[in-house]
Amino acid sequence: MEEKLVEFANLLRQNGLRVSVAEVLDAFAATDLAGLAERDIFRAALRATMVKRASEVPIFDELFDLYFSGLGEVIKEAGQGVQDALSMSDEEFQQFLEQMEEMLQKHGKELSELAKALLRNNNGQLEKMLQQAARDARLGNIERTIEEAYFARALARELGLDRLERELEEFREQLDKSEHGARARMEEYLQRRLQALQDIIRRYVRIEREKRDLKTRESDRLQQLSEKSFLYLTPQEIEKMNEAITRLAQRLKNIISVRKRLAKKGRFDIKKTLRTNLVYGGVPFKLRFDRRKKEKPQVVILCDVSDSVRNVSRFMLQFVYSLQDLYSKVRSFIFVAEIGEITEHFRDNDIKDALDIALRGDLINVYAHSNFGYAFRTFVQDYIGAVNKKTTVIVLGDGRNNYNLPHDWCLREIKSRAKQLIWLNPESKNTWGFGDSEMERYGPHCDLVEECRNLNQLYHVIDRLVPR
Amino acid sequence: MFSSIEDVIEQFGKYNYIASRRIATVVYLANALKKPVLVEGPAGVGKTDLGKVLAEAVGQPLIRLQCYEGLDESKALYEWEYAKQLLYTQILKDKVGEVLHGARGLAQAVERIASEDEVFFSDRFILPRPLLRAIRSEQPCVLLIDEIDKADAEFEAFLLELLSDFQVTVPELGTLKAKHIPLVILTSNNAREMSDALKRRCLHLYIDFPDKEQELRIIKTKIPDVSDNLAEQVVQVIQSLRKLDLKKTPGISESLDWVKALTLLNVKTLDEALVNETLDTIVKYEGDVRKAQEELKDYLEKSRARRGGGAPTPSGGGRSDKDFLN
Repeated sequence: MEEKLVEFANLLRQNGLRVSVAEVLDAFAATDLAGLAERDIFRAALRATMVKRASEVPIFDELFDLYFSGLGEVIKEAGQGVQDALSMSDEEFQQFLEQMEEMLQKHGKELSELAKALLRNNNGQLEKMLQQAARDARLGNIERTIEEAYFARALARELGLDRLERELEEFREQLDKSEHGARARMEEYLQRRLQALQDIIRRYVRIEREKRDLKTRESDRLQQLSEKSFLYLTPQEIEKMNEAITRLAQRLKNIISVRKRLAKKGRFDIKKTLRTNLVYGGVPFKLRFDRRKKEKPQVVILCDVSDSVRNVSRFMLQFVYSLQDLYSKVRSFIFVAEIGEITEHFRDNDIKDALDIALRGDLINVYAHSNFGYAFRTFVQDYIGAVNKKTTVIVLGDGRNNYNLPHDWCLREIKSRAKQLIWLNPESKNTWGFGDSEMERYGPHCDLVEECRNLNQLYHVIDRLVPR
Repeated sequence: MFSSIEDVIEQFGKYNYIASRRIATVVYLANALKKPVLVEGPAGVGKTDLGKVLAEAVGQPLIRLQCYEGLDESKALYEWEYAKQLLYTQILKDKVGEVLHGARGLAQAVERIASEDEVFFSDRFILPRPLLRAIRSEQPCVLLIDEIDKADAEFEAFLLELLSDFQVTVPELGTLKAKHIPLVILTSNNAREMSDALKRRCLHLYIDFPDKEQELRIIKTKIPDVSDNLAEQVVQVIQSLRKLDLKKTPGISESLDWVKALTLLNVKTLDEALVNETLDTIVKYEGDVRKAQEELKDYLEKSRARRGGGAPTPSGGGRSDKDFLN
């Protein structure tokens, strides 16, 4: 059993759960106490000792079902299948097995253990033999669907299936000689049993393969997702990405709350200290500090929503809005050539609806050709009041201006009024400044120009915006 | 204490706590393995109650530590009673003078005082807080550390020694080992993720909202004089509310409150006006109330249609008890 638990723990680890050695030891002790008789209790014992996060429970449940139901269930089902095929009731089947036992005593002395176990419907024995054979056939190494046939053959070989077939043939000849009443039935039983065993082998191999298959799931995929460039996301991945963003936002919030707590203590506060220590006759046993006020940043986001960078803008807006309580004020603008404010839509609608409104083109014409210069000039004319000394301005765009006038003086103007100006570019750094890219011109006016091609980079940028 | 998992369910049942097999298994294991339990789950599903009932079921005193932001050792473990120490030195001034009598030079005086200083750092002047009380308790006890997620991460780290070895270190007194290993229950509302180190030392139990049958049983056990019909309706309403996207999903404690309120009003069946009047016992935010009202309107209409008898008419055959109230 312990071997199985260790293997199960490994399986959990492969699926992104952190299971320490100490926890596996706990699981040993717990299963010893709880016993294996009742499946639910066994499951509860493992869950209490090995899974420590509510979010990991579904993965655990899935793996548990897969791992521990495996072989025993399959064998039982197969046995049931044979019984059903012969259309016998439980009682009849029992009687039949007794007859079979008689026959085995008479003719089956030389039969192998496997044949005996199979014909006696001895599920426990069968399971043990299958597991032994699986170990010998190194079934644990199976990885791909394509290997199933190979491992099924290997398993059959280790089990001695060809010998079994011969034996059953001989046994049938024995039956022919003896005039037994239920002969026809017995022959059918032999046939069905053999088929059932082959079926068991196939299904066993498949279950084992599925177990290994699970390792390349969730955790890995999210990891890959956060490294994948926004440009190449499929619609399904965008769905997934929403989850990833929410999770990242939560992580960032946690980090920040710790950071804030660390920064909580400010300077030594003489007045408070004296007052507190009056109790001790003025001897300063307890020092008091004032609380430092943390200033929340104000953020203004200018998002290019033209086709080329739409995904990034979507995620950027979404990320900032999941973190809204970290900022005192967020105003978002979207532009292609015209520029429009979308802050209110975010306030009144679900984030999803708001993004749809933004990207559908109700607010501005999203099918125009990008014109950064025009957009910046309109912003400076109409909205420059949104920018003050506390504001961080983030521009998100590829800087591809279609050879229009760049109006880079607008950026200088914005920078002179803002606390900082950050430009995020979803294009690879190597391509900046080539073709109609105006990054060379816009870049010098910004405090920070960053490549922002995937979720991880986005995360780092947002992290930087938050006070330390 | 507990001889088996069934025994846990039975014992808890005596104190009106309906434990599922999963909960019972974890409690049984915690008791047998002497491991703390970290209980997580949404608000109002009986996490804190688990600790209280456990104490009652094993017949041991409960020591409770409520966590909050800024909780530190001096509030959780022990504190020296400075004021008392100071008072004693004042009163014993003469004695101090006696001890110092004839001391030659400052060094010797300090030496003499130092030889007496354990008088002032003895049990007499220590103010035991919950954790120290649990450790030094002469009889076995149950320690409930409530809402550990509200405490700072440093405090969590401080708990590690206690939870793994059941000992604490007080610099002046040395390391104190627990006389009896207490049963420890930690609860968390998941305001933040606990550290792996803490989780590793605990058994983990996640309590979710109960299913319909279980909630019905809980209500009937806790409030025996509720009518079957009302209990069933309440459970159905609450279960449907939990499917909504509410800011604060109603827990078991809310359904109990509601049933209590309704039984006080002597209600036998729910109707729309009544639901609207009492809704604020189960839903705690303005926005949630609106959402709940919409959902419930549908539900009540449906259930009325199912009963087949249009709206309950006051002029109809039997006057309900509620009409007597008005």
